[in-house]
Amino acid sequence: MSLRSLAGKKQGEKVLLMGNEAIAWGAIEAGVAVAAAYPGTPSSEILDSLAEVAKDYGIYVEWSANEKVALEVALAASYCKLRSMTSMKHVGLNVAHDTFMTAAYIGARGGFVVVSCDDPNAWSSQNEQDNRYIAMQAYVPVFEPYTPDEAKKMVVYAFQFSEDYGQPVMLRSTTRVSHAVSEVEIGSILRLERKPVWEKRPDLLVYDSAGARRNRVRMVERFERIAKEIDKVPFNKLELVEGAKKGIVASGLAYGYVKEALNLLHLDGKVSLLKLATTYPIPKELVKKLLENVEEVLIVEELEPITETLIKAYSADLGFRMRFHGKDWIPLIGELTTEPVMQAIAKFVGVEMPINYDDIRELSKAAAQLPPTRPPIFCPGCPHRASFYSLKKVSTKLANNPKLFGLEQVFGESTTPIYPGDIGCYGLAYLPPFRTSDLSICMGGGIGFANGLAHIVKAPIFVSIGDSTFFHAGIPALVNAVHHKARMVVIILDNDVTAMTGEQPTPGSAVDAMGQPAKRVMLEELAKGCGVSYVQVVDPSDFKRSQEVLEEAVKVDGPAVVIFRRPCELVRTREQRRRGILPKLYTVDQSKCTKCMVCINNFGCPAIYKQDRVIQIDPTLCTGCGDCAQICPLHAIVRA
Amino acid sequence: MWTPVERFDIVIAGVGGQGTILASRIIGRAAVIAGLKVRGSELLGMSQRGGAVFSHVRFGTKVEAPIIPKGAAHMLLAFEPAEGLRYLHYLSRNSLILVNTKPIIPQTVSAGLSKYPDLQQILQYYRSFATTIALDATQLAIQAGNPITTNSVMLGAMVGTGRFPLSSEIMLQAIEETVRKSLLDVNKKAFFLGFEKAKQLMDETQVIGA
Repeated sequence: MSLRSLAGKKQGEKVLLMGNEAIAWGAIEAGVAVAAAYPGTPSSEILDSLAEVAKDYGIYVEWSANEKVALEVALAASYCKLRSMTSMKHVGLNVAHDTFMTAAYIGARGGFVVVSCDDPNAWSSQNEQDNRYIAMQAYVPVFEPYTPDEAKKMVVYAFQFSEDYGQPVMLRSTTRVSHAVSEVEIGSILRLERKPVWEKRPDLLVYDSAGARRNRVRMVERFERIAKEIDKVPFNKLELVEGAKKGIVASGLAYGYVKEALNLLHLDGKVSLLKLATTYPIPKELVKKLLENVEEVLIVEELEPITETLIKAYSADLGFRMRFHGKDWIPLIGELTTEPVMQAIAKFVGVEMPINYDDIRELSKAAAQLPPTRPPIFCPGCPHRASFYSLKKVSTKLANNPKLFGLEQVFGESTTPIYPGDIGCYGLAYLPPFRTSDLSICMGGGIGFANGLAHIVKAPIFVSIGDSTFFHAGIPALVNAVHHKARMVVIILDNDVTAMTGEQPTPGSAVDAMGQPAKRVMLEELAKGCGVSYVQVVDPSDFKRSQEVLEEAVKVDGPAVVIFRRPCELVRTREQRRRGILPKLYTVDQSKCTKCMVCINNFGCPAIYKQDRVIQIDPTLCTGCGDCAQICPLHAIVRA
Repeated sequence: MWTPVERFDIVIAGVGGQGTILASRIIGRAAVIAGLKVRGSELLGMSQRGGAVFSHVRFGTKVEAPIIPKGAAHMLLAFEPAEGLRYLHYLSRNSLILVNTKPIIPQTVSAGLSKYPDLQQILQYYRSFATTIALDATQLAIQAGNPITTNSVMLGAMVGTGRFPLSSEIMLQAIEETVRKSLLDVNKKAFFLGFEKAKQLMDETQVIGA
């Protein structure tokens, strides 16, 4: 739902929102003035939503080049006493970590909320890191909502809290909050209309060792005050049951699973329950009250045993001797669901499970094996498909006969190419039919890894990286390759957007997040500026030229850059639909088709399929890009 | 033990791009209009690109978690016939399964890397599990005027089974709040085509469970 539709809603009215929309709306209600982010699942819709209504509420919104820059943009605004927010996926905070640590020393002068969207189960990520650890390291308090509605209320509260205590606050969401939906109660919008205040304060902003020591003292003092007063946060809630010997602590999203599990086990009102919304620091008064009233405690949280560790330590400080259960019974790996929580509670309380989950799993197992594998795949008309098709052609030719290229001395007689990849849609090239993305470890990691390979392995190296990823973290690694003469072909797949996360603009786009004209940063100029001697821009739909360029690039001693430039097909087709232009579709001329299978086995467009021994093109999927007509050896694919 | 007043849980399965998320939002919105508590969860991001997708939508006084407990869903909406088979562990004998019979053949099948099961075999699996209503929703959407209204056909059919606790009026209001104005009439038409078809099929179907 667009936040634009919320403009006319009355206070107290309820609407259905996704978690990320609710977080964005919370920021608007709190009077946010500046928001900056870099897209990453599951966080992207927060800034997408804010960008759409930025002008209506007088907010400056930008998609920054990476999370570190985004955090710095927000930090500057907070320093100038405006309310600011930055949002990122969990691994984004690794990129912004450097600034984040010192931002905590500087403190917040305007409310400063850092939204970290963690991804338990790694649905769209390279790992399952729990960013509460990073917050702890930085003395940044953590708020963890369990529904979109609570997320919205918490964001509003967190801005005021951050300002009251002068410390940045982390709102830690997860995939099942950010991409969950719930009813959300609309509140009133705080119209702050503050003027930014720049003050020359080297005591706060200059980090020589004296500055670091001085501000660490101030930060620890701020944090001690927070720790003392965190019990006042209304989102923490202790439901003490008189006479109950067992108590459960549920942090963040786990509260939803615990509540539901208790209900399904008919245990409502039979165990004491502490809902933890501030997982760091923990509300000690509430925890103490629970520990004093029960004999045994079960701590339920997703991923790492953070509140478990804190509560056990606090219990020891109090001199309590009691039994705790936590990660011995609650899964450490993956996301929580109701079943494992029910199982742990049933064991904890000593009741029977109402359903035998093993039976269910057994019954459904055979059926679950029937559907065909359906991995994510490049969209019909995706320019990456054309790029990787040409890359595969050239690299296979080279591997089979380096002599053709005069490179037998460089690479040896028969060399298998190495294809370092990166984070983005193009990472799907690791799958058939291309298998031309051998790794995707982190943003910008492909060129960096290739820098190492180039000096130790005798093989042609083809790195693929998206335009947005290159702007984000590829440039230092390319500079490094130039300086150290690391031989590699760097293929920049320039589709003009950050496609995977929802087609957000990049520094190479002609418009910014708010839809205003922006200065395009040209990748070819950037590459040349980095000192790359061979830089070519080519449209991947021009297969002939694409392959010629790749053949030239591989002969360059040192890094060569090939930019495959064509807009994301999703953006192009949407634009056409908006203008009422119908795509000119393609079809298979059955009189010419010999079923050689090149279009299916080597190209793999999802619009092309084989049924009843006939190759066909699905008119509802075909976008009319025409790439398949070019690669068909028999020219059997023609305009419909 | 699962009384619909307290919880009504729907699993939606399909292929990225089929509008499953929009369908779950419409159901969620209808429940908000009805004044109910709503929880739900979607998968966005990489899986969007033609991959297998699912979403959960739930409403009622006792719903708290964003994901449906296994064995508890009241309905499974399979937007693609084979895709629903992945989620039968969310169902019980009392559930209702609604299947769009139009397959989407993945590239892995055309390339011979995977097999697409026979449609009758698929339906047999569903029927052995719970009451199943199968209809060519894509065909009905084309009949309504636009294949992109397949999700409205499925929503209409869901209400038409008589097993969904919210009224057609509320669902239509939610559709009105969600879809583009220019596409409202064709979506309404699609909704009614689905409704009538499911109602008719329900009368002819032997109901399993209670």
